[in-house]
Amino acid sequence: MKRTLLLLVVITNLLAASSACLAESRPRYGGSVRILLRHKVTSLDPLSESDDPATRDRVAGLMFETLTQIDAEGHTRAKLASAWQADAGNRDWIFTLRQASFHDHSEINSASVAASLRSVSPDWKITVNSQQTFTIETPSPAPHLPELLALPRYAIIKRLPGDVLLGTGPYTLAEWQPGEHVLLAANDDYWNGRPFPDSIDFRTGLSLREHLLERNLTLDHAAEPSPDQLRSLEQANQTLLLSRPADMLLVFFPEPGAKPRKAVDPRLREALSSAINRATINNVLLQRKGVPAGGLLPQWLTGWEFLFPASQDMERGRRLRADANSTQPLSLIYDSSDPVMKMVAERIAVDAREAGILVQTFGDPHSNSRSGRATLNADAILLRVALSSLDATAALTELADELALPADTVSAIVKASRPEELVEIERSALADYRLVPVVRLPQALWLNSNVHEWQQLPNGEWRLDQLWVEGSR
Amino acid sequence: MDIFLCSSVSFVVNRLSSVSCQRQHRRRAPCYTSPFPSMLQATIRSYLHLSAFLLLIAFATSHAQQPLPSPLADAAGLFAQEILSHNGLPETVMVSFNNLSSLSPSDQSAATDAILARLRSAGVHVVRADAAAELQVTFSEDWQGLIWVATFKQASQSNASRVLIKKIARPQRTASLQSAAVTLQKTLILSQGAPILDLIRDDQTLLVLEPEQISIYQNDSGRWKFVSALPVAHDHSWPRDLRGRLQGTARQFTAFLPGTLCTGTISPPQMQCRHSDDPWQVDRNQLAFFSSSRNFFTGVLAGQNAGASVPPFFSAAAWQNGDKRLWLFAGTDGKARLYQSTLTSEPVIQTDWGSDLVAVHSGCSSGWQILVSSSSSSHSDSIQGMEIVNGGAVPVSMALEISGAVRALWPSGEENMAANAVVESATGKYEAYALTVSCNH
Repeated sequence: MKRTLLLLVVITNLLAASSACLAESRPRYGGSVRILLRHKVTSLDPLSESDDPATRDRVAGLMFETLTQIDAEGHTRAKLASAWQADAGNRDWIFTLRQASFHDHSEINSASVAASLRSVSPDWKITVNSQQTFTIETPSPAPHLPELLALPRYAIIKRLPGDVLLGTGPYTLAEWQPGEHVLLAANDDYWNGRPFPDSIDFRTGLSLREHLLERNLTLDHAAEPSPDQLRSLEQANQTLLLSRPADMLLVFFPEPGAKPRKAVDPRLREALSSAINRATINNVLLQRKGVPAGGLLPQWLTGWEFLFPASQDMERGRRLRADANSTQPLSLIYDSSDPVMKMVAERIAVDAREAGILVQTFGDPHSNSRSGRATLNADAILLRVALSSLDATAALTELADELALPADTVSAIVKASRPEELVEIERSALADYRLVPVVRLPQALWLNSNVHEWQQLPNGEWRLDQLWVEGSR
Repeated sequence: MDIFLCSSVSFVVNRLSSVSCQRQHRRRAPCYTSPFPSMLQATIRSYLHLSAFLLLIAFATSHAQQPLPSPLADAAGLFAQEILSHNGLPETVMVSFNNLSSLSPSDQSAATDAILARLRSAGVHVVRADAAAELQVTFSEDWQGLIWVATFKQASQSNASRVLIKKIARPQRTASLQSAAVTLQKTLILSQGAPILDLIRDDQTLLVLEPEQISIYQNDSGRWKFVSALPVAHDHSWPRDLRGRLQGTARQFTAFLPGTLCTGTISPPQMQCRHSDDPWQVDRNQLAFFSSSRNFFTGVLAGQNAGASVPPFFSAAAWQNGDKRLWLFAGTDGKARLYQSTLTSEPVIQTDWGSDLVAVHSGCSSGWQILVSSSSSSHSDSIQGMEIVNGGAVPVSMALEISGAVRALWPSGEENMAANAVVESATGKYEAYALTVSCNH
């Protein structure tokens, strides 16, 4: 209580000065925007492994651009591609490029785009038709290809020797200390006009709490608070951006692979799912900032998550546990760098115990990355997965990739042209209880009052195209 | 699912026996001589006429109070049709409805009735229980609109269900405009996806300055019909928050863009563009230099005030009020500066205005008003009329609410039109409005 009060007082005092700003509405050029990121960014390559891909993509997205993008209304818009069209079977897609340059001032053309896309999807046949047009032929129909191409991993990148990556975006890389600091400078030759700020300075692996205690938050323009700080910030009338509940926390039972690990009985997995009190986790631990999760995609995005119930059924849990006749304890690993994950994992263990399942929780700082969890010898892992797209097909494709779902599942998602097909894919992916959705959380952002036109999409993505800050010209 | 307001309604519609209304044939009554005096007859006749009149009014009133048909009823009927063709419903089915959306009770009721009516008309018997098949219709929604989901289950296949999902547009809501002492009104001229920087028009022709072209429209029975476009040639990328100014007449015009000047005619349609740092006509009485790579005027003035400079600004107005000359500049530092009589005088500072302002001569009140955009950075903007009284700004109109962000506010060259405003709506469309100021006596 004392700590919360202290935090509130510090916030109020420190930030009161920054709230007294001048009014204006037209954007201003200049200034450096300083952003604190909770997670460390150890690589800027959208194809690299990362503990928190969403954070990496926030930084990388300002340098590397995709052919298309999905706007805040959910519409697919042109980006590096100015136009596209598909054949009747949705397998052959012809794209036309706009005039744009990489950061080394070389023009983008069909050949450079084809080389970039081939490194992501080697099974696509890409034909260069002219300097500005090319054709992508997919192995099976891909009715949502433009939406898929808006995913960060399809960013158009010119790869030079020495791991030098060049993009076409509004900012160029000026300085980089992996895991600590990324400084981006405005690209004066950007095809869509030079951005307003002169630079963006990302400080990574820093929490808002640390900066509050250091009393230097007035220098920052944006920071990511943790859920337990939201109430204090709201009470201090600070500007908070909350996305829709987009990040999914789920219990993931890995396939027993190379590790000497016995597969968990499917009835025990279902028993655990039935025992979890998702409503309490949301209401108590997450202070009602999230929603219980039953499906892979959120209700607000699809409107059909209600088809996958998330209510607790302890009786069923006990019955299934008795049927499984297993007294072996289940190990559940969570990301130890995220305090929310620890709380949720411990609560799951409490619920499981009530159903007669012994769950032992362990923390690990790299359990959220694919390579990190491959090294873990655990029965289950509590994962936090961001919603990477506002298009259901693209979001489910990325989720399937992140959770290493079978290739035929990914192929079925790409081929799906109707929502009913995606429902069936979700249903079959959840049927064996290897994936047990628990709860969804919003992404939160604190903004200084001198920051303008910071756009947060419903899934938590940032759009900083029109960002500008006061005190600059 | 505890975040949603859930209401579940089960419907029981027993087989409806068709009710046939038999018409009662009236027998002609025998004719008696009147037992009443004629005066009483007249009174009764008047009473009957009055009653008939009142009944007519009552009928008309009750008819007027009938709820309007919901726009969702048609969509619901089509959805029911898809359920029938998708699932091939058996003769008897249990139907339940569930609302997980923000649908109003009246819209929900209308949709429910339409679905049931369509099912009944197809010969489906809807029962409460003991049916071999169950149809659940859920009125759900996603972040963009309504999602209706029909789940069909057969008792013999307890775990299998078929799903039908349909996206439905949300019913539109309309907003009203407020008015006050001096009234600002806006009239939509054009709405389009491409950014609009400025426009000029006469009765027959409308020219729209866009980032890459000037679009020419002709008046076609009161509607603007696109005719052709003249491309804007420029040798450098446009800056962010691109601004532009279009001047002249609809026949012969000049377009100012950052670092670029274009001149042209529409008859014949032609335009030449060149690199230029010539000053822009900010206002009828003011010329100023615009930064070639930014979104503001540098502060260096030209024309009558050549040689003078003020802090960089986004917009400006200059006018003569009696024997006093006034200048107003919306600075890039968020401060609006009012200079009186001379540009070397100490300005009066205003800090709660937006970046766009324009002076208009309406003849109302003191004669001149300043239209000012609001300082809100949200997606809902407003424009308000101000007057300068004793060196200070006084509001003289209600704020004209704008659904979107004001992207441009330039004086209009037309008779009776105060200014042109360009608004970027929440949907990303650009809307050009003509603004007028009328006196409220």
